[in-house]
Amino acid sequence: MDIKELFAKQEEMKQKNLNAKNEKESEITKVMTFYIGDQVYGIEIPSVIEIIGVPHITVVPGIPYYIKGIINVRSKVVPVIDMRSRFGKEEKEYTDRTNTIIIEEAGVSVGVIVDEVIGVIPVFQKNIANSPDRIGVNDNKFIKYLLEMPDGIKLVLDVAKLIYDGDMYLVEE
Amino acid sequence: MAKVEPGMEAMVDVYIFETTALLEQLDEILLRTEKANEFTEEDINEIFRIMHTVKGSSAMMGFENLQVLAHKGEDMFFIIRENPEKMTDVGFVYDLVFQMSDLFKAEIDMIQNDDDYEPTDFSDMLAKLEKGAKMLKGELDGINEAESASAAAPAADDTASAAAAAAPDCTTVRVFFEDGCKMENIRAFMLINNVKESVDDVEIVSYIPEDIESNQDSANVIIDNGFILSFRAPDVKAVLSAIESSLNVESYEVIDANAQKAEEAEQAAAEAAPIQQETAAAGSPAAPSAPAPAAPKPAEKPKAESKAPAASSGGGKQSLISVNLQKLDQLHDIVGEIITTESMVISNPELEGLRLESFTKSARELRKLTADLQDTVMSIRMVPLTGPFQKMNRIVRDMKVKLNKDVELVIEGDTTEVDKSIVDNLNDPLMHLVRNCMDHGIENTAEQRIAAGKPAKGTIKLSAMSSSGEVIITISDDGQGIDTEKVIAKAERNGLLMKPASEYSEREIQNMILLPGFSTNDVVTEYSGRGVGMDVVKSNLSKMGGSLTVESKKGEGTAFIIKIPLTLAIVDGMEIMVGDAEFTVPISVIKESFIVKRDQILNDTKRGEMIMIRGVCYPMLRLNEKFGLYSEVNDIEDGIVLLIESENRGICLFADKLIGEQQVVVKPFPKYLSQYDIKGQGLSGCTIMGDGSISLIIDVNNLIGSH
Repeated sequence: MDIKELFAKQEEMKQKNLNAKNEKESEITKVMTFYIGDQVYGIEIPSVIEIIGVPHITVVPGIPYYIKGIINVRSKVVPVIDMRSRFGKEEKEYTDRTNTIIIEEAGVSVGVIVDEVIGVIPVFQKNIANSPDRIGVNDNKFIKYLLEMPDGIKLVLDVAKLIYDGDMYLVEE
Repeated sequence: MAKVEPGMEAMVDVYIFETTALLEQLDEILLRTEKANEFTEEDINEIFRIMHTVKGSSAMMGFENLQVLAHKGEDMFFIIRENPEKMTDVGFVYDLVFQMSDLFKAEIDMIQNDDDYEPTDFSDMLAKLEKGAKMLKGELDGINEAESASAAAPAADDTASAAAAAAPDCTTVRVFFEDGCKMENIRAFMLINNVKESVDDVEIVSYIPEDIESNQDSANVIIDNGFILSFRAPDVKAVLSAIESSLNVESYEVIDANAQKAEEAEQAAAEAAPIQQETAAAGSPAAPSAPAPAAPKPAEKPKAESKAPAASSGGGKQSLISVNLQKLDQLHDIVGEIITTESMVISNPELEGLRLESFTKSARELRKLTADLQDTVMSIRMVPLTGPFQKMNRIVRDMKVKLNKDVELVIEGDTTEVDKSIVDNLNDPLMHLVRNCMDHGIENTAEQRIAAGKPAKGTIKLSAMSSSGEVIITISDDGQGIDTEKVIAKAERNGLLMKPASEYSEREIQNMILLPGFSTNDVVTEYSGRGVGMDVVKSNLSKMGGSLTVESKKGEGTAFIIKIPLTLAIVDGMEIMVGDAEFTVPISVIKESFIVKRDQILNDTKRGEMIMIRGVCYPMLRLNEKFGLYSEVNDIEDGIVLLIESENRGICLFADKLIGEQQVVVKPFPKYLSQYDIKGQGLSGCTIMGDGSISLIIDVNNLIGSH
C-alpha cells in the first residue's frame, strides 16, 4: 500500500472521529428537571406549557386517586395528576415549593404536581443512556430515557405515555 | 365524504349545500302548487330552473347518475312549461317528482357521508320519469298533433326551417365547446338560455341538432359537427358576445353571409382572442369518442362556483352567509372566557378598598359591552324552527296519499328560535311524532270522523313557543285520542306493568305509549307500528336535555308536548356549596328548596333517609356523601334541602348552603378525563365561575339514576 494512500486514510479516520464527537456534543433538546421524592425527573421542554403553583383543585368524583381533580388555567379546565401518588409514593402535603407543570401532547393538556422544579438543563447525545430497565421501580413505563449527568442520573418522562397511557388508553371523543 | 379528486372536496361541500337547498325549495314549491292545484308560469320556471341548476352542477361534479336523473325531471317540466295552458291533470307528476327528489336527497346524503360512495343506479326511476314524460306528451298529442314529433324541443313549430341559415335576415353560427367539457347537448341548451337571457328581442330560429334536450347522443353530434344556431336579432353583435361569454364555449364561427357585417365588427374583438378563430378555422376539434372524463377541469371551478349562487339567489341580493359551526363554537368559547376573565379583573381582590372612580366607570362600560357581545354570539347560533317544521308538510303529504286520510297540517310559531344544535336534532323526533299522529291519531276514515261529530278533514297542529329558557313544541291531532283501556291491556300483554292495572292513573297510562316496545297499532304499517319510535323519540329528546309528555282525551285528540332548553351551552343554575366544593344545579329541575326539621326525616333501613313532602315520599341524597367530600355541615337542620324532579322522578339533595342563581357557560370535562365515567356519577360538565373557581354541573337524570 502506498504511503500516500495510508496517509489519506488516516486523515479520513480522524475526520470521522471528529464528526462523531461533534455529534455527541451537539445539544439535542432541553429538559426541565424537578424532584419527585429524592429522585430527579425531567420533561422535555417542548411539552411544557407553563409552570404554576398548586391552585385550588376542584375534586371530581369517579376518577382514580392519583388524579386530584380539575383546575382552571387561564379559563381552560385542566385535570391534575399527583406524580407522587401516580408513582406509588407516599403523598405529601403541598407546600409553596410544590409546583404544577402544565404539559400538552396532541391537544390534550394535563397538569402534573411535582415536589419542586429545579431548572432547565441542555441535553447532549452523550448524556443519554438507553437502559431504563435498570431502575426497577413502577415508574418504568413512563421513562423515555435516562440522562447521565455529572450530578447524577435524571429520568426523563415520556409525556405521551403519561397522558395517553394512564392505566388504559384514552377514549377518543 | 365520497372520494373525489384532490382539491375538489371544498367544491363537493358547496355542491351538497346548494343542491340540498335547491331540493328543499323544490319540495316547497311542489307542496304549495299541489295544494293550490295549479302551476303558475312562475312556479314552472322556478322548478325548471332548479332542475337545471341541479343537473348542471351534478355534471360539473361528475355525478353522472344524478345529472341524468335531473335531466329526465327537467324534460318533464320542459313539456309542461312549453304547454302550460294545456295541462289539466298533472297529479302523477307530483308523485314522480317527489320520488325523484327523495332519491336525490338519499344520494346526496351518501355522497356526504360514505367514504366509499358508489353511484346508485337510477334506471327504475329514469324509466318512470320517461313514462311520465310520455304520458304528458300523449296528453298533448290529442290536443296538438303537430307538436308531437318533438314536444321536448322548444320552438318546435319551426322544425321544417331547421336549415334556416338561408332565411333572409337570419344569422347562423357554428359553436364548438371545449374538449371534454362533457354534456355538450346541455351546454348547448345553456347557451341558448344564456343568449335569450342576456339579449332582448332575440329570436332563436332553429338549431342543429334539434334534440339536444331529449337525446343524449346529440352530444356526440355537437362534438363532431359543432352546434349550429340560427337566430334573428336586431343587435347581432350582442348575441355573438353572449355566445362567446357562455360557459365552456371554445370557439364559434359565423357561417352565414348575411351576418358578414356583424362578423366584421366581431373581428376587432376577435383579435383579442385570436386562438378562437384559429381553432374554428382548423375545423372540428378532436372529439373524444365517449362522453368524457369523470371530473371537470379545475379551471372550471370558479365559473361553477360563481354561477350557482347567482342562480339560487334568483337575482335578489343575499344578505346571508354560511359559517362553519365549529367557528361559531370557538367564538362562543372565547366570549365565555372573556366574560370570566372580565369578572376576574373587575372583582380582583387587589382592588378591594381602593377608590377607583374612573376604573369603576370603565368597568361598567366593559361589562355592558361584553354582555351585548354574549347576546349577539348567542343569537348567531339561534335559528328558527321553520326548517324542521316545513319538512313535516312533506311527511303529511306523503302519508295522506298512502293512508288515504284527508289531513291538514297547521303550523304555528315556526319563527321561534332555538340553538342550531337543537334544531339539527329535532327532525327525527318531530317526524316520528307527526307520523304517529297521522297513523294512530287521525281516524281511519272520514265516516268515523263525521260519526264522531268532527269535520271530515283531520287537523294536525304543530306549534312552538318559547317560555323562560325553554321551547315548548306541541304536536297535536284532533283524532281518536288514546284508548286507555287498549293501552293498559297491551301493556299487560307485553309485560310492561309494574303494579296492578287498576292502580294506574289515566296520565300514567297515556305515558305508557312512550315506553320501549310499545305499539297499539295491531298492524305494522310502513310508517309505524313496530314498537320502536316513541321511546327513541323520548331518549333523543332527553339527550338534548328535553322531555316528552303526552296529553290525550279519548275521542278528542292527542297532544305530544316537547320541552327543550333554548340552548345547550348556557344553563340557568343555582349555585350550592358542599364542603369547599361548588356545584351548579339547573334551575329548571329545582322544584323548591327548604330547611327541614329533624323529625321530618324518615329512616328506612333499606333505602336510607327519606322525607315526606305533601304526601309524597322522596329519597334524601347527601351530596357530601355521594361525592366523597368533607363537609362540616352534617346536621340536616343546618344545611339546605333541594327538591329536584326530572322525568317524573324526584329526589331531595342535601347541601351546605345556597349561594345564588347564576347563568353559567357549560364546559365539558377535559378530554383526559373522558376515559372515566364522570357522567355516570351524576355530573354533566363544569363551569368556570367569576372568581376563577370551578363549579361542577349536576346532571339530574344520571344522579337520580345512580341513586
